Amino acid sequence: MNLEQPPSMEGFLSFFIYVVPFLIFVLSFVTFAILAERKVMGTMQLRSGPNRTGGRFGLLQTVADVFKLLLKEDTIPKDADRTLFKWSPILAFVPAFMVLAVIPFTKHFQFADIGIGLLYYVAISSLSVIGIVTGGWASNNKYSLIGGMRAAAQMISYEIPLVLSIVGVIFLAGSLNLNTIVGAQQSVWFILYQPVGFIIFYIASVAELNRVPFDLPEAESELVAGYLVEYSGFRFAIFMLAEYVYMFAMAAMTTVLFLGGWHPIPYFEMIPGAIWFAIKFSLIFFSLMWIRFTFPRIRGDQLMTFAWKGLIPISIINIFLTAIIYEILS
Amino acid sequence: MNGEVIFFVLFSLGAIIGAVFVLVFRKAVYALLSAVLTFVSMSGLYILLTAEFVAGVQLLIYSGAITILMLFAIMLTKQKTGTTRKRMIRFQWPVIIPIVLLMIIIFYGIHKVTPPRKPVSYGKNNTEQIGELIFTQYMIPFEMISVLLLAALIGAIILAKKENT
Repeated sequence: MNLEQPPSMEGFLSFFIYVVPFLIFVLSFVTFAILAERKVMGTMQLRSGPNRTGGRFGLLQTVADVFKLLLKEDTIPKDADRTLFKWSPILAFVPAFMVLAVIPFTKHFQFADIGIGLLYYVAISSLSVIGIVTGGWASNNKYSLIGGMRAAAQMISYEIPLVLSIVGVIFLAGSLNLNTIVGAQQSVWFILYQPVGFIIFYIASVAELNRVPFDLPEAESELVAGYLVEYSGFRFAIFMLAEYVYMFAMAAMTTVLFLGGWHPIPYFEMIPGAIWFAIKFSLIFFSLMWIRFTFPRIRGDQLMTFAWKGLIPISIINIFLTAIIYEILS
Repeated sequence: MNGEVIFFVLFSLGAIIGAVFVLVFRKAVYALLSAVLTFVSMSGLYILLTAEFVAGVQLLIYSGAITILMLFAIMLTKQKTGTTRKRMIRFQWPVIIPIVLLMIIIFYGIHKVTPPRKPVSYGKNNTEQIGELIFTQYMIPFEMISVLLLAALIGAIILAKKENT
């Protein structure tokens, strides 16, 4: 699979054959990620979580939930903007799945090795907020409109520290290509060179994913369900799916940028790269869940102050320090 | 017909249709979404020209701008539909003159550009080449633009501050 070839029908078909199983893999990952999230949440809150459907561990709980959502009546509010109401789940899902194309999972398993992989990721993922805003607007409901507005304000504010925090990584790797970035971490992972960058990236990614403590767009105690209020049935399912696929992409990206991708820790080279990637990825994913269950939601003004007066100045200072130290040492 | 031509036709059609619908749609949010179509198609066209860095930056900057504009559109327009039909301006014939003039100027401009003799190898290290050019040959224009943007930023802050007091 290389992109150096001119676009052709065979190229399209071969990509199609690879992508469809991957889509199914991601969907089944999302199914079990939701189950895992509920089980972990249950354990942390001293209860057992889903334990009826599909055996002792509730293995089929999410499958049953998805079937329930698919069989539900598809309601569209009378005064809603019908066209956009139908389109916005798609607008939210497509970018979330598109960004997976450039992520290098192992040395050989990557769909598109393009020169600007990192920029592509940031650019495409910034499109996903459009689906949320249109969904909130098209529902014609106060709560969903406020949710959509909040989502726009939050995702634009936190995109800036997200991008600024990876500038240090780009410095060190000297490239925007994700394969080169992983290759540069052969001996030392960038989390050791860029600890501040990692922390900022991590916080900003939690905010971009609209998860607790930054889940103001869907804060259930204030806005019922935020931009999702009017959505039910499979449109709601697609929104949730987009959220979890985006979370998958974010965790994979954190692994690639800061945790050395598929590279093993020294003396453990016999374990294949795919498993290393999975281990690091699961660590990030678990910590994302952990944060969700342990932090309270922050207030709207605190959210904005935190981004503009906290994360952005720190990440700019981080860029300067990285550049100066890099110049002195090289 | 190879794939490149198909994609060129798709992207350029997308860009033109999006631009036309920005003018045609009466709902501001719809118009903005068709502007998104234009921008995405434009970056597709840049990729066909192997200017991948420009394509990525185009998406990154314009999608943020579009979201902000969408917020303004939501806040400043009423959601009631069908009331703006009166405001549609009829087509005015004198408009033809500037349109034709503009077309002639653009056509002349495109016609005057002579493509370089030997093809420049952009392709792989696109980002690196752009960075080198900006920070060597085009250093002064680049710095001037940053000063201009800074001035605009400060001006916006001053204007917003005045309203508050």
